[in-house]
Amino acid sequence: MEPSPWDPEGVEQCLDAEGLLLDPRAAQGLDLRALYKRMVAARLLDLRLARLGLPMWVPSAGEEAATVLSATLAGPEDWLYPSVRDLALAPIRGMDLDEFAQQVLGAAYNGRPGAVAAADLGIGHAPEALGLHLPLASGQAHAQKLAGPGRMTAALFGEGLTTTAMFHETVALAVACDLPLVLVCKSQLWPEGAPAEAGLLGDSVAERVKACGLWSRRVDGADVVGVYGAIDQAFRRARDGRGPGLVEVVATRLQAGEKSADVPAHRDPLERLRRHLDREKQWTPTFQDVIEAEVRGQLDRAFTHAQRQVTEETP
Amino acid sequence: MNVRERVVDVLAEVVAELLRDDLRRVLLGEDVRDGGMLGLSRAAMRDPALGLRVLATPLTPATNLAHATGLALAGRRPIVLLNSATALLEGYAALRELGRVGATANGERAAPVLIVAPTGPGFGLGGDGADSPDAAIAAVPGLRVVVLGDAGEAPASLRAAASFDGGEAPTVLLLPRALILRELEAHEYKPQLGRPLGAARTVRPGSAATVFAVGATLDAAFAAVETSGVDAAIVEVSGLAPLDETGVLAAATSGKLVVTHAGGRSHGAGAELVALLADRAILHLDAPVLRVTGGDGPFTGRDEFAGLPSVEAIVAAITRVATY
Repeated sequence: MEPSPWDPEGVEQCLDAEGLLLDPRAAQGLDLRALYKRMVAARLLDLRLARLGLPMWVPSAGEEAATVLSATLAGPEDWLYPSVRDLALAPIRGMDLDEFAQQVLGAAYNGRPGAVAAADLGIGHAPEALGLHLPLASGQAHAQKLAGPGRMTAALFGEGLTTTAMFHETVALAVACDLPLVLVCKSQLWPEGAPAEAGLLGDSVAERVKACGLWSRRVDGADVVGVYGAIDQAFRRARDGRGPGLVEVVATRLQAGEKSADVPAHRDPLERLRRHLDREKQWTPTFQDVIEAEVRGQLDRAFTHAQRQVTEETP
Repeated sequence: MNVRERVVDVLAEVVAELLRDDLRRVLLGEDVRDGGMLGLSRAAMRDPALGLRVLATPLTPATNLAHATGLALAGRRPIVLLNSATALLEGYAALRELGRVGATANGERAAPVLIVAPTGPGFGLGGDGADSPDAAIAAVPGLRVVVLGDAGEAPASLRAAASFDGGEAPTVLLLPRALILRELEAHEYKPQLGRPLGAARTVRPGSAATVFAVGATLDAAFAAVETSGVDAAIVEVSGLAPLDETGVLAAATSGKLVVTHAGGRSHGAGAELVALLADRAILHLDAPVLRVTGGDGPFTGRDEFAGLPSVEAIVAAITRVATY
């Protein structure tokens, strides 16, 4: 299949548009069926959140691979500093869904609707100041470095943040102090070119930070196997004391509405992985129905319960 | 012959001592591995056992404060050495987050960060090096902000500011430039504060008037009271946040009050003090509460001492309230 303006440039392909795994070694150690379930759960969570009417909430459909794989690949002693678009990582890290729903509604822990954090699960909080979770993560990484190798911290964010001083300062600090810090940048794919005000400073964040001396890789967010390989490598490097890194995951936003009608189906990471599983005879419509019913049921229970508690506590 | 030691050199020894006393402590700053602009990390760098905890970070005004916050959340006790208090304005967003962090996460995640920064005129630098952004820093919720007023208390203040064992808020210790290059004899350095850090302290008793002096103006207040011939009390107010309201109000009974501090009058540290006195000491007042401050700036290197109130202006204010 010919690459379209919808396909990012400068990425190595592992799972092609039709779901063909180009090199089976790339998926070694990865349970793709289990990963698919997590991806579906993340998508359904996004749909559930869309109905809550949370202040300042933004959808993250289409960007799940970075979030889900960061959570999957982080070890128990690693830390993750998510953006508010990465809520799906908390249940994967082991957060109880009732606690999760209460935090999302702003009724527990941070008291900030639409954000989650848990010190015991290694999930850092998302400050309201733009991009400030990056240097909080670098501080966490510095403390890990002082304690010795074997642990790392990752911070997740969107490419809009890469114009800020906070981003550049964090890159400078991570490189200067050789920190076990991984920056996971979710870049939006603009098939017709990014608007000037996006201020992207070039086509690729990964290329840009290379000039700063930071190790980086650029992958296609629709290709979960590619994202897996890059994040796994970056996390391992950081843990082994081989230095900080940045993984740029180029993703297509799948927003509800007329715009999403134009998006080719293979840009959806779930659909691409589904095609792969289908090829491998590991996917059936029943399998899909069962996962969806299970996740929907769990989310409904947790959010109904949490919303009732919030209503009861409000005088 | 008595040995005289500069305040900054004594502070450098305290910094090294703090690192030795608590292995959780780390020292952060752009040039800390070279001793720092004020030489505050020099003693620590001489001790090979401490070198690994002296962490040089690039010039990243906001990030270094948030980085220190991240280190603190991870169980460390960072001491951040800045070259100017105005650097905190460059990193204001991160300073606000530092103050806020204790209120997130059900209060489970304290951030025991100490920031040490010189403030106000004193080095002849002008510009940012003559500004006193003390009140802007104290306006950030959730911080403990203390200004040194007595050079002899510098080491004891630093020790107290670095202690978070009582769950103290993240702390900013401001060191007036006018004080820290002074040389004092060893016995003039007090081993202990003898009061909680930031508590208001009567340094000279008197009944005819009261001068509340913040930071570097303490000496000028002494000289002014001597010159005025008025039996005025002098109260040092070092804690800007939280303000020691009880201590300040207890000292307001003379009813003739003068407030003096470095930096501009508009929205300066004295505005909060005077508002408190108008609010809660109104029945004591026998005269307008006068503020004697530096100019609003900006200052060049040549005129930077305009950032501090003059002794003459304080004398005039004392005389005016005393004879009102």
